[in-house]
Amino acid sequence: MQVDYINPFIESTCELFTTMLSSEAQRGTISLASPEANPREVMALIGLSGMARGIVAISFPVTTALGMVNRLLGSDTKVVDDVVSDAIAEFVNIIAGSAKARLSGNDRPPIDLSLPTVVRGSNYTVDYPSGSTWIEVPFTSDLGPFTLRVTFEMKSET
Amino acid sequence: MKALVVDDSAVMRKVLIGALSRAKITDVDQATDGVEAVSATEATDYDLVLMDWNMPNMLGIDAVRTIRANGKSMPIIMVTTEAEKSRVIDALKAGAQNYVIKPFEPAAIVNKIQAVLAKANG
Repeated sequence: MQVDYINPFIESTCELFTTMLSSEAQRGTISLASPEANPREVMALIGLSGMARGIVAISFPVTTALGMVNRLLGSDTKVVDDVVSDAIAEFVNIIAGSAKARLSGNDRPPIDLSLPTVVRGSNYTVDYPSGSTWIEVPFTSDLGPFTLRVTFEMKSET
Repeated sequence: MKALVVDDSAVMRKVLIGALSRAKITDVDQATDGVEAVSATEATDYDLVLMDWNMPNMLGIDAVRTIRANGKSMPIIMVTTEAEKSRVIDALKAGAQNYVIKPFEPAAIVNKIQAVLAKANG
Protein backbone atom coordinates (compact mmCIF):
# COMPACT_ATOMS: atom_id res chain seq x y z
CA MET A 1 0.00 0.00 0.00
CA GLN A 2 1.36 3.40 -0.94
CA VAL A 3 1.37 5.64 2.11
CA ASP A 4 -0.11 8.47 0.02
CA TYR A 5 -3.31 6.47 -0.27
CA ILE A 6 -4.00 7.04 3.42
CA ASN A 7 -4.55 10.77 2.91
CA PRO A 8 -8.08 10.57 1.42
CA PHE A 9 -9.12 8.44 4.40
CA ILE A 10 -7.69 10.97 6.83
CA GLU A 11 -9.42 13.82 5.01
CA SER A 12 -12.73 11.93 4.98
CA THR A 13 -12.47 11.20 8.70
CA CYS A 14 -11.86 14.86 9.48
CA GLU A 15 -14.74 15.88 7.20
CA LEU A 16 -17.14 13.50 8.99
CA PHE A 17 -16.26 15.05 12.34
CA THR A 18 -16.60 18.59 11.04
CA THR A 19 -19.87 18.20 9.15
CA MET A 20 -21.89 15.72 11.17
CA LEU A 21 -20.39 15.78 14.67
CA SER A 22 -19.55 19.47 15.11
CA SER A 23 -16.12 18.37 16.22
CA GLU A 24 -12.56 18.35 15.00
CA ALA A 25 -10.43 15.23 14.67
CA GLN A 26 -6.68 15.73 14.90
CA ARG A 27 -4.50 12.99 13.50
CA GLY A 28 -1.38 11.68 15.17
CA THR A 29 1.63 9.97 13.67
CA ILE A 30 1.03 7.54 10.81
CA SER A 31 2.58 4.11 11.33
CA LEU A 32 2.28 0.47 10.36
CA ALA A 33 -0.60 -1.14 12.27
CA SER A 34 -0.13 -3.83 14.90
CA PRO A 35 -2.94 -6.25 15.81
CA GLU A 36 -2.56 -5.48 19.51
CA ALA A 37 -3.06 -1.73 19.08
CA ASN A 38 -5.61 0.01 21.26
CA PRO A 39 -8.17 1.53 21.64
CA ARG A 40 -10.40 -1.09 20.08
CA GLU A 41 -13.45 -1.89 22.23
CA VAL A 42 -15.68 -1.14 19.26
CA MET A 43 -14.40 -1.76 15.74
CA ALA A 44 -16.12 -1.16 12.42
CA LEU A 45 -14.81 -2.65 9.18
CA ILE A 46 -15.81 -2.20 5.56
CA GLY A 47 -14.39 -3.75 2.39
CA LEU A 48 -13.44 -2.07 -0.88
CA SER A 49 -13.53 -3.88 -4.22
CA GLY A 50 -13.58 -3.19 -7.93
CA MET A 51 -10.82 -0.89 -9.16
CA ALA A 52 -9.27 -1.18 -5.71
CA ARG A 53 -9.28 -3.74 -2.99
CA GLY A 54 -8.81 -3.23 0.69
CA ILE A 55 -10.37 -2.84 4.10
CA VAL A 56 -11.02 0.24 6.20
CA ALA A 57 -11.31 -0.24 9.96
CA ILE A 58 -12.02 2.27 12.69
CA SER A 59 -11.67 1.31 16.33
CA PHE A 60 -12.83 3.20 19.38
CA PRO A 61 -12.92 2.94 23.14
CA VAL A 62 -16.53 2.76 24.31
CA THR A 63 -16.47 6.35 25.57
CA THR A 64 -15.58 7.71 22.14
CA ALA A 65 -18.17 5.59 20.37
CA LEU A 66 -20.87 6.77 22.78
CA GLY A 67 -19.71 10.37 22.51
CA MET A 68 -19.92 10.31 18.72
CA VAL A 69 -23.37 8.74 18.63
CA ASN A 70 -24.76 10.98 21.35
CA ARG A 71 -23.42 14.04 19.53
CA LEU A 72 -24.97 12.90 16.24
CA LEU A 73 -28.39 12.09 17.70
CA GLY A 74 -28.49 14.50 20.62
CA SER A 75 -29.01 11.46 22.85
CA ASP A 76 -27.56 10.32 26.18
CA THR A 77 -26.89 6.62 25.57
CA LYS A 78 -24.71 5.02 28.27
CA VAL A 79 -24.04 1.58 26.78
CA VAL A 80 -23.05 0.23 23.38
CA ASP A 81 -26.31 -1.11 22.02
CA ASP A 82 -27.62 -1.83 18.53
CA VAL A 83 -28.15 1.88 17.87
CA VAL A 84 -24.53 2.65 18.68
CA SER A 85 -23.31 -0.25 16.52
CA ASP A 86 -25.52 0.96 13.69
CA ALA A 87 -24.10 4.46 13.94
CA ILE A 88 -20.50 3.25 14.05
CA ALA A 89 -21.16 1.14 10.96
CA GLU A 90 -22.52 4.20 9.21
CA PHE A 91 -19.48 6.24 10.22
CA VAL A 92 -17.07 3.78 8.59
CA ASN A 93 -19.36 3.61 5.57
CA ILE A 94 -19.23 7.40 5.22
CA ILE A 95 -15.46 7.57 5.68
CA ALA A 96 -14.78 4.80 3.16
CA GLY A 97 -17.34 6.16 0.71
CA SER A 98 -15.95 9.65 0.79
CA ALA A 99 -12.36 8.43 0.54
CA LYS A 100 -13.01 6.15 -2.40
CA ALA A 101 -14.51 9.03 -4.34
CA ARG A 102 -11.38 11.06 -3.69
CA LEU A 103 -9.26 8.12 -4.84
CA SER A 104 -11.30 7.40 -7.95
CA GLY A 105 -11.54 11.00 -9.09
CA ASN A 106 -13.65 11.51 -12.18
CA ASP A 107 -11.62 9.44 -14.60
CA ARG A 108 -11.65 5.99 -13.00
CA PRO A 109 -14.50 3.54 -12.52
CA PRO A 110 -16.05 3.80 -9.03
CA ILE A 111 -14.76 1.58 -6.25
CA ASP A 112 -17.42 -0.60 -4.62
CA LEU A 113 -18.10 -0.82 -0.89
CA SER A 114 -19.18 -3.87 1.07
CA LEU A 115 -21.75 -3.57 3.82
CA PRO A 116 -20.02 -2.61 7.10
CA THR A 117 -19.40 -4.95 10.02
CA VAL A 118 -19.10 -3.96 13.70
CA VAL A 119 -17.19 -5.94 16.33
CA ARG A 120 -17.83 -5.22 20.02
CA GLY A 121 -15.66 -6.23 22.97
CA SER A 122 -11.94 -6.19 23.64
CA ASN A 123 -11.05 -9.86 24.04
CA TYR A 124 -10.18 -10.68 20.47
CA THR A 125 -7.23 -10.61 18.10
CA VAL A 126 -7.30 -9.25 14.58
CA ASP A 127 -5.30 -11.42 12.18
CA TYR A 128 -4.64 -9.48 9.03
CA PRO A 129 -4.32 -11.32 5.70
CA SER A 130 -0.74 -12.35 5.06
CA GLY A 131 1.08 -10.00 2.76
CA SER A 132 -1.20 -7.06 3.48
CA THR A 133 0.23 -3.84 4.81
CA TRP A 134 -1.95 -1.87 7.20
CA ILE A 135 -1.42 1.79 7.84
CA GLU A 136 -2.60 3.07 11.20
CA VAL A 137 -3.54 6.63 12.08
CA PRO A 138 -4.39 7.58 15.67
CA PHE A 139 -6.79 10.49 16.13
CA THR A 140 -7.79 12.64 19.05
CA SER A 141 -10.96 14.70 19.33
CA ASP A 142 -13.13 16.32 21.98
CA LEU A 143 -15.24 13.13 21.77
CA GLY A 144 -12.25 10.96 22.62
CA PRO A 145 -9.47 9.07 20.82
CA PHE A 146 -9.91 6.56 18.04
CA THR A 147 -7.81 4.80 15.43
CA LEU A 148 -8.17 4.48 11.67
CA ARG A 149 -6.56 1.53 9.91
CA VAL A 150 -6.47 0.98 6.17
CA THR A 151 -5.06 -1.62 3.82
CA PHE A 152 -5.58 -0.66 0.24
CA GLU A 153 -4.28 -1.33 -3.26
CA MET A 154 -5.34 0.19 -6.55
CA LYS A 155 -5.81 -2.44 -9.25
CA SER A 156 -2.92 -1.13 -11.33
CA GLU A 157 -0.58 -1.97 -8.46
CA THR A 158 -1.32 -5.69 -8.58
CA MET B 1 -46.94 16.14 2.81
CA LYS B 2 -45.71 12.56 3.23
CA ALA B 3 -42.14 11.29 2.81
CA LEU B 4 -40.34 7.96 2.69
CA VAL B 5 -36.85 7.54 4.14
CA VAL B 6 -34.90 4.56 2.77
CA ASP B 7 -31.65 3.60 4.51
CA ASP B 8 -30.37 0.38 6.06
CA SER B 9 -28.93 2.41 8.94
CA ALA B 10 -31.52 3.13 11.63
CA VAL B 11 -29.37 5.98 12.88
CA MET B 12 -29.19 7.60 9.45
CA ARG B 13 -32.96 7.23 9.08
CA LYS B 14 -33.31 9.05 12.39
CA VAL B 15 -30.99 11.83 11.19
CA LEU B 16 -32.95 12.18 7.95
CA ILE B 17 -36.28 12.17 9.74
CA GLY B 18 -34.92 15.02 11.85
CA ALA B 19 -33.97 16.91 8.70
CA LEU B 20 -37.43 16.35 7.24
CA SER B 21 -38.98 17.64 10.45
CA ARG B 22 -36.92 20.81 10.14
CA ALA B 23 -38.33 21.10 6.60
CA LYS B 24 -41.85 20.84 8.15
CA ILE B 25 -42.42 17.26 6.98
CA THR B 26 -43.44 15.08 9.93
CA ASP B 27 -45.48 12.35 8.22
CA VAL B 28 -42.65 9.94 7.40
CA ASP B 29 -42.49 6.23 6.62
CA GLN B 30 -39.27 4.21 6.74
CA ALA B 31 -37.80 1.43 4.60
CA THR B 32 -34.57 -0.45 5.23
CA ASP B 33 -33.67 -1.52 1.68
CA GLY B 34 -34.65 -1.11 -1.93
CA VAL B 35 -37.18 -3.93 -1.89
CA GLU B 36 -39.09 -2.34 0.99
CA ALA B 37 -38.87 1.02 -0.74
CA VAL B 38 -40.45 -0.30 -3.94
CA SER B 39 -43.22 -1.98 -1.95
CA ALA B 40 -43.87 1.18 0.06
CA THR B 41 -44.12 3.36 -3.04
CA GLU B 42 -46.53 0.91 -4.63
CA ALA B 43 -48.78 1.11 -1.58
CA THR B 44 -48.55 4.83 -0.82
CA ASP B 45 -48.27 8.03 -2.84
CA TYR B 46 -45.32 9.90 -1.33
CA ASP B 47 -44.43 13.52 -1.97
CA LEU B 48 -40.73 12.86 -1.47
CA VAL B 49 -38.34 9.91 -1.13
CA LEU B 50 -34.86 10.08 0.44
CA MET B 51 -32.90 7.08 -0.87
CA ASP B 52 -29.59 5.55 0.25
CA TRP B 53 -27.53 3.73 -2.38
CA ASN B 54 -25.59 0.96 -0.67
CA MET B 55 -28.18 -1.34 0.99
CA PRO B 56 -28.78 -5.09 1.24
CA ASN B 57 -31.32 -6.94 -0.96
CA MET B 58 -31.71 -4.14 -3.51
CA LEU B 59 -29.45 -1.15 -4.10
CA GLY B 60 -31.00 2.29 -3.96
CA ILE B 61 -30.18 2.96 -7.60
CA ASP B 62 -32.09 -0.17 -8.63
CA ALA B 63 -35.00 0.85 -6.42
CA VAL B 64 -35.13 4.23 -8.17
CA ARG B 65 -35.21 2.53 -11.57
CA THR B 66 -37.99 0.20 -10.42
CA ILE B 67 -40.04 3.01 -8.89
CA ARG B 68 -39.82 4.99 -12.11
CA ALA B 69 -40.63 1.87 -14.18
CA ASN B 70 -43.75 1.53 -12.03
CA GLY B 71 -44.82 4.98 -13.17
CA LYS B 72 -44.19 6.85 -9.93
CA SER B 73 -43.02 10.42 -10.40
CA MET B 74 -42.46 11.78 -6.88
CA PRO B 75 -39.14 13.58 -6.28
CA ILE B 76 -36.36 11.26 -5.12
CA ILE B 77 -33.20 12.56 -3.47
CA MET B 78 -30.28 10.15 -3.26
CA VAL B 79 -28.53 10.49 0.12
CA THR B 80 -25.39 8.44 -0.12
CA THR B 81 -21.66 8.04 0.33
CA GLU B 82 -21.36 7.28 -3.40
CA ALA B 83 -19.72 10.55 -4.38
CA GLU B 84 -18.11 9.73 -7.73
CA LYS B 85 -19.35 11.84 -10.63
CA SER B 86 -20.31 8.73 -12.60
CA ARG B 87 -22.53 7.59 -9.70
CA VAL B 88 -24.29 10.96 -9.59
CA ILE B 89 -24.91 10.78 -13.33
CA ASP B 90 -26.21 7.21 -13.03
CA ALA B 91 -28.63 8.27 -10.29
CA LEU B 92 -29.95 11.23 -12.24
CA LYS B 93 -30.35 9.07 -15.36
CA ALA B 94 -32.24 6.52 -13.28
CA GLY B 95 -34.71 9.18 -12.25
CA ALA B 96 -33.43 10.80 -9.07
CA GLN B 97 -34.07 14.55 -8.87
CA ASN B 98 -31.15 15.44 -6.67
CA TYR B 99 -28.16 14.05 -4.82
CA VAL B 100 -26.78 14.60 -1.33
CA ILE B 101 -23.38 13.18 -0.46
CA LYS B 102 -22.65 11.94 3.05
CA PRO B 103 -21.27 13.38 5.23
CA PHE B 104 -23.52 16.42 5.10
CA GLU B 105 -24.20 19.37 7.35
CA PRO B 106 -27.76 19.22 8.71
CA ALA B 107 -28.67 22.59 7.20
CA ALA B 108 -27.47 21.50 3.78
CA ILE B 109 -29.89 18.62 3.48
CA VAL B 110 -32.79 20.68 4.81
CA ASN B 111 -32.08 23.27 2.12
CA LYS B 112 -31.89 20.55 -0.53
CA ILE B 113 -35.22 19.05 0.56
CA GLN B 114 -36.90 22.45 0.44
CA ALA B 115 -35.41 23.23 -2.98
CA VAL B 116 -36.51 19.94 -4.49
CA LEU B 117 -40.05 20.30 -3.12
CA ALA B 118 -40.28 23.91 -4.29
CA LYS B 119 -39.29 22.85 -7.78
CA ALA B 120 -41.71 19.91 -7.76
CA ASN B 121 -44.58 22.05 -6.56
CA GLY B 122 -43.67 25.19 -8.48
